[in-house]
Amino acid sequence: MTMISRMAFLVLALAAVPAAAEQSGKDVYGKVCATCHASGLAGAPRYGNAGDWAPRVAGGVARLYQSALNGTPKGMPAKGGNLALSDAEAKGAVDFMLAAVKDAARPAAAQAEPKKAEARKDEARKADTAKDEPKAAPVPAAVATTSAATTEVAAAAPADVNSFNRLLKPVSKRNLPPPEDGIHDPSSDGTHALQPPLTAFGPLPKSNAGNRINWVEALNQKKLNPRYDRLDPKAEPVVMDLNIVREVKGSMPDVVYPHKQHTEWLDCSNCHPAIFIPQKGANSISMAAILMGEKCGVCHGKVAFPVSECRNCHSKKKELAVRPAAAEPAK
Amino acid sequence: MKRLLSLMRGLATGVVLALCTVLFVDIPDAQAEYGDVVINNYSDAAGMRPAVFPHWFHRMRFRCKVCHADLGFKMKAGGNEINMVKIIDGQFCGACHNGDIAWSVENCNLCHSGKPGTQTQVHESTIHKLAQPAGTPKK
Repeated sequence: MTMISRMAFLVLALAAVPAAAEQSGKDVYGKVCATCHASGLAGAPRYGNAGDWAPRVAGGVARLYQSALNGTPKGMPAKGGNLALSDAEAKGAVDFMLAAVKDAARPAAAQAEPKKAEARKDEARKADTAKDEPKAAPVPAAVATTSAATTEVAAAAPADVNSFNRLLKPVSKRNLPPPEDGIHDPSSDGTHALQPPLTAFGPLPKSNAGNRINWVEALNQKKLNPRYDRLDPKAEPVVMDLNIVREVKGSMPDVVYPHKQHTEWLDCSNCHPAIFIPQKGANSISMAAILMGEKCGVCHGKVAFPVSECRNCHSKKKELAVRPAAAEPAK
Repeated sequence: MKRLLSLMRGLATGVVLALCTVLFVDIPDAQAEYGDVVINNYSDAAGMRPAVFPHWFHRMRFRCKVCHADLGFKMKAGGNEINMVKIIDGQFCGACHNGDIAWSVENCNLCHSGKPGTQTQVHESTIHKLAQPAGTPKK
C-alpha cells in the first residue's frame, strides 16, 4: 500500500515536473544563468551591464537566442548547462537579461544617442522577425556542432584562469567564427556568409600556436593537397631536400633550416635573392630582425608558425652541451 | 541658475558621449584568425568596409607559391596597392576571383567585411603585437 502510494506519488511528481516547469525568465536566471552572468565568470556578459551587452545586442536577438540554446565557442554551454530547460524557458531568461540592459542602458547611452540605440533595437527586431533568421542560423549551428567539445571544456575548467597572462590566448578565444572575431563587421551580411575556421580545421593535425594547425604536418599526412598551380590541379611542387645548419651564439640549439618543407609550399624566387642571398655566410640573421618582420620573419610571425615555437628551428643540440652529460655516466 | 544647469547638462552629455566612444567605438581586443590580412589602403576613404583576406582559407586550397610567386603578391600587408580596377582587369585577386576559379567581384561584402576603421595589418603578427600589445587602448 505504502509502496504503491509512494510509486504513484513519484510518477505524479515526475509528470508534474514538466508541467510545472514553465519557469519565468527571472527564475531561470536565478537558478542557472546567474552562476556566470552575475559575476561575469569566463567573460560572460554581466547582468545589467550595458557595456557588456551592447555588442551582443547589436548582433540581433535571434543570435542571442541561438547562443543561449546551442552555446557559444566562447564558453557558454547550451542552455547554460541545464538541458532540462525548455527552449521557451531559455529564451525567457535571455529576454529577462535583455530587459535589464535596456533599462540600464537608457540613462547612460540612450540619453546621448537615443536615435542610435533605437535604430539598433529596430535592427535587432528586424533580424529577429524577418530575413535574418535563415541567414544567422547556419553560423551558430555549424559552430555548435564542431565546437561542442571545446565549449564543454571551456565551461568545465574556468576558461580565463590564465588570462592574467595577456599573451596567452584562452581556449575560448581561439579560432572564433568571423562575426565574433573582432575584425569582421557583424552587421555585414558577407561576414555571416564566411566559413568559420573550426568547420574547416576539423581533421587537420594540431599545433600550439598560430592557427593551431600544423600546416607542414597536414601536407605530410596528405590531409591537405593545395594546388601548386593556379589552373592545373595536378602540378607537383619542385621539392628540394637540403638542410642548412646555422650555428648560433650562446646555449641555444643550432638552427636547422629544411629546404624540403619550404619548397613544398614556396617557389625559390619567394626567398632568393631578395630575402636571402643564396650563398653560405652571406646572410646575417638575428632574432631582432625576425621579430621586426625581416628575414624568416617575413612569413614566420605572420602566416607560418610564429617565433614562440623556438624549437621548431633551434632543433640541433650543440655538441659542447652534450659532452659533459655524456661523460658522467661513463665514470 | 538656469545657465549653470544647462552648463552642467552640457558637461554631462559630453562625459556620456566620451564614455560612449570609449565603450562602443573602441574595438575590444580582436581575436581573429592568425594571418588574416586587413587591407585598408583605400576602403575607408571610399566608404567601403576594409577588405579582410583569410590566409588560412586560401592556403588550404593553394600553396604560397601560386599567389606570392606566380601572381606577384608582395609579402607585405597593403604593399600591393590593389584596387578594384586591377582586380577586374584580372590582376592580383582577380586572377582567380573572376567567376571561373573562384566567385566573382560582384560579391563585394565577402571581402569588404572588416569593421570600418580597422587599420591595414597582418592580424596577430609579431610586429602587430609588438607595436600594439594586447590590452593597451588602441590609438
